[in-house]
Amino acid sequence: MSAPLPDLRPAPDAAIAAPVRKKARGRASTLRIWIPAGFLILLAFACFIWPQIYPVPKPVGGSILEAGLPPFSPGHILGTDPNGNDVLSRILYGGQVSFEVGFSVTVIGLVVGGLLGMAAGYWRGITDTSIMRVLDVLIAFPALVLALAIAEGLGPSESHVIWALAIFSIPATGRIARSATLAIREQNFMLAARLSGTRGWRVIGRHVIPNILPQLMTFALLGFGIVIILEGALSYLGLGIPLPEPSWGSMIAQGQQVLSAAPEQALIPSAFLFATVVALNLLGDGLRERWGVR
Amino acid sequence: MAVAAQTGEPGAGVTVPRRVLRSPTLRLAGRRLLAVIPVLLGVTFLTYVVMNLLPGDTAQVLLGANATPAQVHQLEVKLHLNEPFWVRYGGWLGGVLHGDLGTSLASGENVTSILGQRLPVTVELLIYAFVGSIVLAVLLAVLAARRPNGLADRFSVVISMTGLSVAPYVLAVVLVYVFAVRLQWFPAIGYTPLTADPLENIRSLTLPAIAIGFPLFAVYTRLLRADIVEQMQREDYIVTARAKGVPTWHILIRHALPNSMFGLITLVALNLGALVGAVAIIEPIFSLPGVGAILISSINNHDVPIVEGVVLVFAVVVVVAALAADLLYAVLDPRIRYERPAS
Amino acid sequence: MNRVSTASGPLLEVENLRVSFPGRRSELRAVNGMSYSLYPQRTLAIVGESGSGKTVSCRALMGLLPQAAVVTGSARFRGVELLGLTDDEMRRHRGTNIAMVFQDPSRSLNPTMKVGNQIAEAVRVHQRVSKAEAGQQAIELLRLVHIPVPGRRFHEYPHQLSGGMRQRVMIAIALACRPKLLIADEATTALDVTTQAQIMDLLLELQAELGMTLMLISHDLGLARSCADEVIVMYAGQIVEQASTPQLFARVRMPYTQALFEAIPRLERPSHAPLPVIGGRPPDLSALPAGCSFAPRCRRAADDCRATTPPLAEHEPGHRWACWHPIETPVA
Repeated sequence: MSAPLPDLRPAPDAAIAAPVRKKARGRASTLRIWIPAGFLILLAFACFIWPQIYPVPKPVGGSILEAGLPPFSPGHILGTDPNGNDVLSRILYGGQVSFEVGFSVTVIGLVVGGLLGMAAGYWRGITDTSIMRVLDVLIAFPALVLALAIAEGLGPSESHVIWALAIFSIPATGRIARSATLAIREQNFMLAARLSGTRGWRVIGRHVIPNILPQLMTFALLGFGIVIILEGALSYLGLGIPLPEPSWGSMIAQGQQVLSAAPEQALIPSAFLFATVVALNLLGDGLRERWGVR
Repeated sequence: MAVAAQTGEPGAGVTVPRRVLRSPTLRLAGRRLLAVIPVLLGVTFLTYVVMNLLPGDTAQVLLGANATPAQVHQLEVKLHLNEPFWVRYGGWLGGVLHGDLGTSLASGENVTSILGQRLPVTVELLIYAFVGSIVLAVLLAVLAARRPNGLADRFSVVISMTGLSVAPYVLAVVLVYVFAVRLQWFPAIGYTPLTADPLENIRSLTLPAIAIGFPLFAVYTRLLRADIVEQMQREDYIVTARAKGVPTWHILIRHALPNSMFGLITLVALNLGALVGAVAIIEPIFSLPGVGAILISSINNHDVPIVEGVVLVFAVVVVVAALAADLLYAVLDPRIRYERPAS
Repeated sequence: MNRVSTASGPLLEVENLRVSFPGRRSELRAVNGMSYSLYPQRTLAIVGESGSGKTVSCRALMGLLPQAAVVTGSARFRGVELLGLTDDEMRRHRGTNIAMVFQDPSRSLNPTMKVGNQIAEAVRVHQRVSKAEAGQQAIELLRLVHIPVPGRRFHEYPHQLSGGMRQRVMIAIALACRPKLLIADEATTALDVTTQAQIMDLLLELQAELGMTLMLISHDLGLARSCADEVIVMYAGQIVEQASTPQLFARVRMPYTQALFEAIPRLERPSHAPLPVIGGRPPDLSALPAGCSFAPRCRRAADDCRATTPPLAEHEPGHRWACWHPIETPVA
């Protein structure tokens, strides 16, 4: 048996488990969860707590005299932007924005979308059809037009961005919640709960939620990353966080203007954005594997 | 994932044996076309509503801050902006049914001609991005599935993770910096039409196509590889093929791959709708004269006819894609095609 | 039943075959030292419960086990060692020398490929012929397995055929290159009784026509009795009894074989009489008991049974068994 072949379905009368090295696998999967989680915790600490305890230069109101300093200049480890603002502090404060928006949108999506999806999946019938029609319309709608319109119409601000993005997080989460609920609905423990006369919302609370939580959580983590990217997109287009407030997206847009001369202006926020989303995706994947979600 | 839904008529307990290639597929197509119309109506109507809820006076925006109230009012009348919006929507709809998409509020040009000029650019870009991402995804997925957890597989995992985590605009900026500014292999901006110079044309579209296509490639590879591996490991007909003596590559490509395409097709069809956003951001970065490029500025200008025109075009594309996907299912899976029961 | 071939030596010689799968905590021993010889044009039936190792052992012969499987021992086909070959080397044997028919024809055929093409593929793997020529051969094979209107059936898909027809297609695929040895792994288990009988008749007919050697894997001792020249009974990965069919059923020795025999439903039994079943559960292959593996479930088990494993020995000419306290009296 020396040839490297794709694994075959094992013979029916030998109940084979997954291949060897389960112990090593266990260790690797723990690493896969804690390394990205650690990075994210570190980043969150740096963005939110660090500026409180250590005097970091302000992200706005820099003087023109200090404009365009390269990285590793004294007092400005990542340099300054064309307006004289310290890049590192703009990254950190911009990171706050990304985390806040990401978190808020994800939570709104989880709560509202989750409830709607579970209701649709559990009660089916009219509730299901009506909820799903509404969600489908939201999904079918050209996302960008709506987001841009909202952002433009309401004026750029962090909370408007949150609401604009929540409009997409809700149907997406709703669909996942609904399909997950449908999947477990016919299982025996659910039938037993319903037959025992337990009220609908109680069943949902005690049986549905704990069982679909892994799926929802891993989806939420992936969604977090997508929301951060979208917030960046809106800010990149000038419709998100208003200047001169920092946001990774607007920093990238600004950096694009001076790409040949000072590429780090665009590349540094790009790197942070990328790293954060990778960490979120890795964490989501790691958790999915650990919790056995498909 | 070689599972497909039945397409028999609901409630027909007995399936009449019918030697068919076309009938169920055609009926499916017909039903789909019928369902399309309300969707298109809904989407365009909703767009109209949203555009009209935008605060700010269109005429004012167009004329600028220095315009006098009289001038603003004059423009309003000229552009029918003082009529209630459902009247305007109805007018627009009527025009559409005659093939007339209206005139741009900003430039006064015919929307159909504007779109006609810009659409080929966007279409070419999207075809480039899609074909590239699908072909490469198939290649990498097959290579990765050949040896799960082998070198190609680990590589595909890394690439997929990267592609999933990168934002198109971030990727575009990085690409421009590396390939246009430093290496100077591709132009940073600008577009050369196909008819003028095919090679330059490809060159000018490559970076934008990568910016759009790479995240797609990542998602497709991940899904396809997973589906292929599942076929190879869980399906009995694969064991039969091996027992026949069929070489592994042959099994991968002739047996596992065709049965794994269903998930990919669904995903591709689903993706198309999201492309509006990607195109709208990428085209301006590279100064490509496509439909995405004017979308944002049109929204800013409250130039409703153009926005509606673009939205309509994309909605049609999405719908056609969904229909094409269904037809492809029928082609790939004979169980959908034929309704004849076992004899 | 076929004449014993007077040709030289056995077709297949298996010596101390062991197959194990490394598991989470311990090794799972699917096959535990199996040795037998198969002579040309004979029909051998390997009988046992699920988990006895019968399927794993024959898949090991063809190199169809998952990568994780550890296979030791020897299996010589006409003197050529089969175990330990690379996949490329093994492919030369698959279909030409040894072919296999599987249990569930609805899942063993590619749902999106025409059945004719699946047969033609088996032809083209080993013969350099054109597509058209392979197609012709496929139609001939369909005729060989008694599928009516083969020219039309060629173009059909598996879901358009009945279970029995699909199994015939599987047989046609297996026969494409006229293998010397055909292994039928529970080939009739998934079919209804009438179709079972038809398929078995077909297999025996083809064996006679093509001069093949046949290996029948089954849990059905009755099937072995009606169709096989020789029977091997397996339990927990080992051979526990082996004899020619007349010899075996004249005098069953191993209690397990007797229990299997008694479990066959028969018309002569009084109606509503409970079917004698073998008590207990199949053994845990990762934690086999010391001593005879069947001892926990055996009515005749004694202390020496639980202490030491009885060896498989030829206690009578042509009849081997592994039991400390075999049954002396003949079975009804």
